[in-house]
Amino acid sequence: MSQSTPQANGNDAAVETVTLTIDGREVTVPKGTTVLKAAESVGTEVPHYCFHEGLSSPAMCRLCLVEVEGAPKLQPSCVTQAQDGQVVRTQGDQALRQRRGVLEFYLVNHPLDCPICDQSGECHLQDYVHEEGRDHGRSREPKRVFGRDDFGGDVLFYGDRCVMCTRCVRFMNEVEQDPRLTVVERGNRSVIDTFFEEGLDGTHWSGNVVDICPVGALVSKDFLYKQRAWDLDHTPSICPSCSQGCNISLHTRDNLVQRLKPRKNLDVNGHWMCDHGRHRYEFMNRPDRLTEPLTGRGTARTPSSASRGWRAALTDVVDRARSLAEGGRGGRVMAVMSPNASNEDIGALVEVVDALGGGDVVYRMARADDEIVLKGYPSLARRRDLAANGHGAELLGATRVGDDDATGGLEAVADHDGIVIVLGDELDDQGEDFGRAAALYLYLGAHPSEAATHADAVLPTTTFAEQEGTFTNIQGRVQRFRQGLRAPGSARPAWLILGAVAAELSGRETAPTSAEEAFDALAGRTNALAGLTWDGLGSRGALVNETVPLAGD
Amino acid sequence: MSDLRVRNPGWAGNTGEFDLTEEQVRGDDFVGTRPVEGGHPAATPSYAYMRAERDPEAPLFEGPYAERFEKLLTRYPEKRAALLPTLALAQEVRGHVSPETMARVAELLDLPDAYVRGVTSFYTMYNKREVGRFLIQVCTNISCNLCGADDVLEAFLSTTDTELGEISKDGDFTVVEAECLAACGFPTCVQINSRYYENVTPADVPNILDRLKERGE
Repeated sequence: MSQSTPQANGNDAAVETVTLTIDGREVTVPKGTTVLKAAESVGTEVPHYCFHEGLSSPAMCRLCLVEVEGAPKLQPSCVTQAQDGQVVRTQGDQALRQRRGVLEFYLVNHPLDCPICDQSGECHLQDYVHEEGRDHGRSREPKRVFGRDDFGGDVLFYGDRCVMCTRCVRFMNEVEQDPRLTVVERGNRSVIDTFFEEGLDGTHWSGNVVDICPVGALVSKDFLYKQRAWDLDHTPSICPSCSQGCNISLHTRDNLVQRLKPRKNLDVNGHWMCDHGRHRYEFMNRPDRLTEPLTGRGTARTPSSASRGWRAALTDVVDRARSLAEGGRGGRVMAVMSPNASNEDIGALVEVVDALGGGDVVYRMARADDEIVLKGYPSLARRRDLAANGHGAELLGATRVGDDDATGGLEAVADHDGIVIVLGDELDDQGEDFGRAAALYLYLGAHPSEAATHADAVLPTTTFAEQEGTFTNIQGRVQRFRQGLRAPGSARPAWLILGAVAAELSGRETAPTSAEEAFDALAGRTNALAGLTWDGLGSRGALVNETVPLAGD
Repeated sequence: MSDLRVRNPGWAGNTGEFDLTEEQVRGDDFVGTRPVEGGHPAATPSYAYMRAERDPEAPLFEGPYAERFEKLLTRYPEKRAALLPTLALAQEVRGHVSPETMARVAELLDLPDAYVRGVTSFYTMYNKREVGRFLIQVCTNISCNLCGADDVLEAFLSTTDTELGEISKDGDFTVVEAECLAACGFPTCVQINSRYYENVTPADVPNILDRLKERGE
């Protein structure tokens, strides 16, 4: 919120400002700011439905009306521009009384079915009525009933709960620019609908209408009756489904990701995210996990073999790797990594490879045929690269191999007779002969794989949802994600495991013990990331100072 | 003529702009089916304009209707603005505005289907379902209601033997309720196609219906 004040921009000269008084407090905002945003900048939320930052303002919900001294009537704060010397009262008697009246009208036909409504707990109608509404409704008329309508896709419409803010209609018109939603009928009978049975099938961004719906009228079928909103923990994260790097929140409960929601970042995704990314979260909840570090060739075949813990496993790995390298039998290291590994993971992997005498780091990444651009926010698209950190991998020296389905390309690795390291790639297309000839085969992953049969060490790693770290998106923006889930068993982040191995191999005393240390160390030794710091990434990320052409471009 | 002048003091006389007499405008000259070419603009409000060929499958638009549609487009700076008259023209041809009609109009005017549906459903004068030859709209808003509009409505329904919105068996009548027709001084007001019947009582209803069938307005 404070970003909107010129002080935060650090650019006072260029921005013309106006100073007004809101509820007795002086506020200075850039010229052109609305009263609603100005009030928000000093922490006063004026209730509103139809206004949304990413959309136009029709000023039709009549809920953000405030008193402006000198104006004959209440003014809609969402479209009233702040003026010098304006005196605004958001909590004046007149404003409060009128908002209470408007809210009472909103409830005339509202079913008040909060106990079975998905939006309950994050519902603006609930909040505003609780704060400013009447204790009891006075309407004795029967309520009109619409029931619910399946809009297709993931969207379900409960007409009775709708407050007719038309945010969804404007989203489809202005942002997705596939104007399928409209207000049908008029007055009391108005209802949001599509062209008869057309529905929202075939749209790619319609999940956003569920997010921007201020009440429970548009709800997600995927999330329907699944969890209560107040039970969910929200963890800032980055969408792993393509290289756009949309800012998201992981909504978790019971150590499971329950849904993904977009998080505002005007540099990357605005307020939006695509349906493709939104509905790809189940993989974070997979129960088939590696939980204990195991060493000894063929160890994956006998998962019952007792784990001796991380210290023994890593000592074993380091000893074997060192003896191979010293005896000159290691050859070049061949490493395969997942493009969903964090920058810290990749950095640690590269460090291990270098410590073992150098080699090749490759990754395989699925690519879609087309970008799906959000027309009203053209810097946002579902990108062709269907993984979060392909750009980071390239910057850190990895090479893309294989085809557009993320298969193939590993012939040289599969039969390599030196050291083979796999990080995160599940090798679904590889048989159990993968790595049979390897002198040392380390498999670091979250899930068991047939191709790990001949691994000398199977080391369980966390998924991106279970660790902190950074991804580099298609623009070269390094963005942080945070830990939303507890890792099972002894699974550890790959940067911790490989960082310890690298430190041991290169004879350093200390290894990074936090993602912050890992990132800062990585930035210190990598040209592309030079100058970046963990703290400097902030909430909007920071751009790397050199870019590389991405594979296939 | 002179009688008419007394009865209709609002007649401004022949302005010279149109070569029309009051008889032509006020009288029965233009009552009936609207001519396919659209008729004289000054007489447009007098037409029972919904009563053209009424073929729900008729093409949009061809022949004289295509000409009228082209003319409509020239009246507005953008195609979208021609939506209301185009829908009216479509209703004149097809009798009502079906989903297929909306889609066709959307196609003609390069508009989203959903937008056309939203506009059509907003206005009550577009029939979203098929109606009889005579659409009888009985005002049941406050003035008329106080003066017995409910009884008039009941009389229309029982005499035509229909439910609200239903087409009578002979295909002639559909009775619906209307909100205020702006004739509160003459309750109960009934609009049949585009003509007003004022001060209607239940006793008038059979006469009105007989006269309609007879004259086939």
